[in-house]
Amino acid sequence: MENKLLASSSPHLRSDETISRVMLDVLIALLPATLASVYFFRFNAIKLIVLAVASAIVAEIICQKAMKRPVTVKDLSAVVTGLLLAFNIPASAPWWIPVIGSAFAIVVVKQLFGGLGHNFMNPALAARAMLLASWPVIMTNWVSPGADAVSTATPLAIMAGDAGSDAILPSLTDVFFGNIGGCLGETSAALLILGGIYLLYRRVINWRIPFMYIGTVAVLTLVFGLGFTDMTYHLFTGGLMLGAFYMATDYSSSPVTPLGQIIFGVGCGIITVAIRLKGGYPEGVSYSIILMNLVAPLLDKYTRPKVFGEVK
Amino acid sequence: MREVIKLGSILLLITAIAASVLAFSNSMTEGVIKDVEAAASNEARKEVLPQADNFNSIEEDKLSDIQQQNNKILEVYEGFAGEELVGYTIKTATPGYGGNVEVITGISVEGKITGIKVVKHQETPGLGANATGTDFQAQYIGKPVEKEVVVVKTAPTEDNEIQALTGATISSKAVTNGVNIARELFNSMLSK
Amino acid sequence: MSLLKTFKNGIINENPVFVQLLGMCPTLAVTTTATDGMGMGLATTSVLIGSNLVISLLRKVIPDKIRIPAFVVIIASFVTLIDMFMHAYAISLYNSLGLFIPLIVVNCLILGRAESFASKNKPVQSIFDGLGMGLGFTLALTILGIVREVLGVGSVFGIQLFGAAFKPAIVMILPPGAFLALGVLIGTLNWFKNKKAKNA
Repeated sequence: MENKLLASSSPHLRSDETISRVMLDVLIALLPATLASVYFFRFNAIKLIVLAVASAIVAEIICQKAMKRPVTVKDLSAVVTGLLLAFNIPASAPWWIPVIGSAFAIVVVKQLFGGLGHNFMNPALAARAMLLASWPVIMTNWVSPGADAVSTATPLAIMAGDAGSDAILPSLTDVFFGNIGGCLGETSAALLILGGIYLLYRRVINWRIPFMYIGTVAVLTLVFGLGFTDMTYHLFTGGLMLGAFYMATDYSSSPVTPLGQIIFGVGCGIITVAIRLKGGYPEGVSYSIILMNLVAPLLDKYTRPKVFGEVK
Repeated sequence: MREVIKLGSILLLITAIAASVLAFSNSMTEGVIKDVEAAASNEARKEVLPQADNFNSIEEDKLSDIQQQNNKILEVYEGFAGEELVGYTIKTATPGYGGNVEVITGISVEGKITGIKVVKHQETPGLGANATGTDFQAQYIGKPVEKEVVVVKTAPTEDNEIQALTGATISSKAVTNGVNIARELFNSMLSK
Repeated sequence: MSLLKTFKNGIINENPVFVQLLGMCPTLAVTTTATDGMGMGLATTSVLIGSNLVISLLRKVIPDKIRIPAFVVIIASFVTLIDMFMHAYAISLYNSLGLFIPLIVVNCLILGRAESFASKNKPVQSIFDGLGMGLGFTLALTILGIVREVLGVGSVFGIQLFGAAFKPAIVMILPPGAFLALGVLIGTLNWFKNKKAKNA
């Protein structure tokens, strides 16, 4: 519980908030969804989650030792990255997918750019993009929940017409509670929202990015989609809840100013809907967050509140 | 003023020398390039219509007629074994995932597809780009021209079905659309 | 500077790609396979030797004020020559390099050597400079091509290295793979250099 958050400029607030406490809260929030993924995908889920988390920790230790930096695995941030990455992998993936993904996330995206707080993109999402570009067949091989794990399509792919005409959409209840095909952690919208509410209550995240993000997706799919039912599918399937509550809110790759956060959330929403409805991929949450990560510094620059009495 | 003329003439001299060197080497390589290009396209046509040993483009009027009806058709060649007409090769361009996919389809006079070849594409490496693989292209050989070729995701059960490339339905469909255009052209104009 | 030193300078000390970061466009775009990288490097080398020689011979004839257009005309002529001959005699390489052969004209490495070396030095030295720089460029592109082909396709110079169990990372032959591979290579080289400098 060392590692007090470093305040760079005033105000210097005294707080018990530490990195490890924040990360622990995120882990607590993710716990229900983790258990659900184990329930739905059985041993495969356990295997992938353990491998992803373990390799993230090992990669962080090796990397920090090699770069002669203090080893900071105790702050739990590597555990969060590993867990989020595992949530972005389909249950049928072979063992080396989470290992390579975690190593890439920690070494290339996080440590090479300076470690925690200096990564310009969400490490877990950047790793997912790398995995998806490298092994597109493995990364889109969805299986249905349960022990028999038959090959299936995600609801979004069915809506995009990629799965053939005979595929039918699962019921909304199944969608809401997670009894559908998809990545490990993106199946149960209800439990992800529960975790999100916990994070909001603990003030680990604030409402702006997730609410603006989800709201924008809701409005746009209602307007450009085919009505209310389609909108609910777009909200509760795919990675939207996972992305909006846990990925887009990553401290170091999202804006800090309130207005910046609102623009960030709206931007994520617009790009997500554009990719889902008009793009080649059925899902666009991960790419939209990565793209908005890149403009986060700009958003901060142009939305910085004026100092009292400042004259332009 | 005099300096400008001096500089200009030096530059003119350099460009003139460069131009004559290039003109000379162009005259040297022009014929070779033409032969190489012709050999390469003949090679591709022979792959899809192995019975034929020489190819002739159909008359220009006829080709422009065909293209007016369907602008996705780029080339139509007649294939001969000696003097005898044995089939046609038809080059089509159909939209795929990353732009147009150009396919040459060979059809014998008996009305069987003798082979296809994807000659130009910008599909995703590892997914749609696998359409250039022999396994995928061999599926089309022997398909009858009467029935439309359709893409299915699982192992084909009918004789007019093609199994899609894993994760690349759009590219598979683009190739198949090209083959179908060639097939229809054969049925409507060439077979009689 | 002795000829050997000039030669070595281009390959190692002032390697155009790893040290000077020149000619990044072909470096990133055509190194998807070792063969393509090497072919591009050799094509650039021949242009560089030719342009360096001619510019060095003409260095006293070309007035300072029009040197840039004159250099560009000379370079463009050599590129067009290479383009024609590759089209005629190396059609498969020509097809896979495509647009990037005419783009050798705007490779800043070539104009850079013309301006900073060939226009100030004797012909023989300029040839060696072109050879050294060109081979340094070729070496870098080949290394990058090998790394990307091994990881992204599982082969090197078209020869399969692994069995079917090896699943190549396609990202390495896509544009992001070029940046990743180049960044890691330059980083590693600099790390070695710093280490050597510290020990010395």
